[in-house]
Amino acid sequence: MLSRVADSLYWMSRYMERTDSILRILKINYASSQDSPDDFSWRPVLQVFGNLDDDAISNVGENSRAVLLYMVLDKDNSNSIFNMATQARENARGVQDNITVEMWKCLNGFYHVVRDDRLIYALQHGDPITVLDSLIKECMLYFGITDITMFRGEGLCFMNVGKYIERAIQSAEILDIKLNSLSYDLDKPTDTAYWKYLLMSISGYSLYLKKYQSGFEARNIIDQVLFDVNFPRSVLYSLHHLDLYFERLRDDKNAEGFSKVHFSIGKLKSKVQYSNVQSVSNVGLHDYLTEITTEIDEIGSTLNQYYFAYS
Amino acid sequence: MKAAELFHKYPLTDNTWDEMYNEESVRLHYQNVYETLSNIPADELIKKEELAKSLFMSQGITFTVYSSGEGIEKIFPFDIIPRIITGSEWSFIEKGIKQRLLALNLFLKDVYHQQFILKDGIVPVDLIYSCPHYLREMQGVNVPHDIYIHIAGIDLIRDNDGTFYVLEDNLRTPSGVSYMIENREITKRIFPDLLPQNHVRPVTQYPNILYKNLMALSHRQVSSPNVVMLTPGIFNSAYFEHTTLARLMGIELVEGRDLVVENQKVYMKTTAGLQQVDVIYRRVDDEFLDPLVFNPDSVLGVSGVLSAYRKGNVAIVNAVGNGVADDKAIYVYVPEMIRYYLNEEPILKNVPTYQLGKADERDHVLKNISKMVVKKTNGSGGYGMLMGHAATDQEINDYKQEILKDPRQFIAQPVISLSNAPCYVNGKVQPRRIDLRPFALYGPDGIEIVPGGLTRVALKEGSLVVNSSQGGGSKDTWVLAE
Repeated sequence: MLSRVADSLYWMSRYMERTDSILRILKINYASSQDSPDDFSWRPVLQVFGNLDDDAISNVGENSRAVLLYMVLDKDNSNSIFNMATQARENARGVQDNITVEMWKCLNGFYHVVRDDRLIYALQHGDPITVLDSLIKECMLYFGITDITMFRGEGLCFMNVGKYIERAIQSAEILDIKLNSLSYDLDKPTDTAYWKYLLMSISGYSLYLKKYQSGFEARNIIDQVLFDVNFPRSVLYSLHHLDLYFERLRDDKNAEGFSKVHFSIGKLKSKVQYSNVQSVSNVGLHDYLTEITTEIDEIGSTLNQYYFAYS
Repeated sequence: MKAAELFHKYPLTDNTWDEMYNEESVRLHYQNVYETLSNIPADELIKKEELAKSLFMSQGITFTVYSSGEGIEKIFPFDIIPRIITGSEWSFIEKGIKQRLLALNLFLKDVYHQQFILKDGIVPVDLIYSCPHYLREMQGVNVPHDIYIHIAGIDLIRDNDGTFYVLEDNLRTPSGVSYMIENREITKRIFPDLLPQNHVRPVTQYPNILYKNLMALSHRQVSSPNVVMLTPGIFNSAYFEHTTLARLMGIELVEGRDLVVENQKVYMKTTAGLQQVDVIYRRVDDEFLDPLVFNPDSVLGVSGVLSAYRKGNVAIVNAVGNGVADDKAIYVYVPEMIRYYLNEEPILKNVPTYQLGKADERDHVLKNISKMVVKKTNGSGGYGMLMGHAATDQEINDYKQEILKDPRQFIAQPVISLSNAPCYVNGKVQPRRIDLRPFALYGPDGIEIVPGGLTRVALKEGSLVVNSSQGGGSKDTWVLAE
């Protein structure tokens, strides 16, 4: 496969995973802002996903609609849904002959949806949850279509590598945003509604109830989001799948590249596999989560160097 | 209101061939379509037009216009009423194009080798050496199977008595074939059952024929040669076409930066290292193909690709240097070429053409400029043309000054009235000017022309310029079975 094509597939997939993830974050945060406006702040979300300075954050931070407009439609925000849908589609456009027509139509359709005036109107005047749900549906459509139509081969492997790299980062970040607002104090009493929304947004709510059979405890949430191998959005699950799909790219012609990337993935996977909430709390949660995202970024750069370099 | 009423107001243009009407009556081959359209409620036609637009949009059959850093998706305008060609008209066109292409291909081989045609004084030597598309780099280079013009898009128009004329020979990187294929797909959706009722010949086989021809050009004795398509990239207005053809043929779509030349061999950069390329179907013009030989600033091309080509290590489609054969000044000599190489009379006529490089013809044109279309010999896309009947005195005077600077760069033709076809414009059926570009494929087994082509339409009322850059659109083009 052409390096440029692999690169585009990888990024197309990362952008869609990130789009899906940010939409879910917006949804829980918005719901939370309606429940307990006094405790709630958009600041962590804007700090992580926006590129506004402190003053600008203070200006829009109180106004949920302004934040949603910024996060969904702002052309100057590189993480806005508008820009990411555009990026995903532009990457797909350059590799149309390497994905299925159905996938192309889906991404092209999403691109036109975020450009539709009706979306702006709905975000300004309608129910934000309805809008976010409709956008999340576009993402679900993409994931479903990819699963059903995309041929099993090198291309899909690069897409899945991108997808699980992005998902691991996002799950770590969703957690970090919330823990930040607790100042990383796990014993601090907090509004449990937020944890509920967090779990619901990443489809982890019913699993949590079955597994822990208790109220919402920060430690249990961390355990599920980081270490539960049966939870498809956990960091460990993502790393397992990253390892699985990368393993399929083993090729004697690029033995050096393969062994470098394989080594970093294995190292990070072991690190997460052999941690638990207790040991992580000892290191410091924020530091631990930062280490994970940094190491994932390094895997990305190594991939770039050995697999995607073409210009 | 039924659509039948729409046709009642259809104005026939004097002294112009109408594809649908013969005087007041509908031509036989249009009757079925005429009746079908007549029985559709008028607002249904508007819906069909909207359906066509949304199909183009949702499938991404668009080109992107970039303005202030933002891309806007545009559709190449599509007219819903098909253009119909009868079986006998088609077999005439087919014979004519095959003959012309054969002669043009022999001409290219001759010009880049022994140059008999120049030595025999049929084509003037200075016309060749003053042509910017004649490439010395190609002199003496042997190309696989002696084929230069693998893909030709020869433009045809019809004069007021219905006679077909060749307007120009596009022998470099003719585009538009994806619209031949996609327009047909749209017709299937907006007029269900109409195609089988009319016994329209299919066009879907085009990519398969092209692929078979490309495979046959590989120099290496390998079971599956590596054929790639070279695109300038996603910013090119024809990018949709490139990606469609690559997908339909199942070949890799590459950009210049994906390729590298090592030891006079071309490789593509893959996730598993370098992989040799055998055949390049390029949609990049000659001058951007190899920065080492041509335009040194080109980032679209591949350094060293010409040396690999000259060495025979890679085949390039169409061949490099073809521009010398579709130059508008050489065009005048094509009928002579057909007589010279094939000893046959030309089947398709040339539009009478004056060369402004010749003093007597120049005088004649300058005196009668209001009845002429003056074009640059190396221009395309409808740019840099003077339409004498529509130009102001000031424009004519400025253009004359341009001509006198370098007359060799200009030719003139009497204004030919292109034929009219019914088009659905602003809710009314109206006549608009059209041309026809069939796509001919020249492979080791001979020349094949898929029955169909691109019909371009001048959508502006009264306009004679069909180019998409000048407000032109297209139609689905039907060739009926005998």
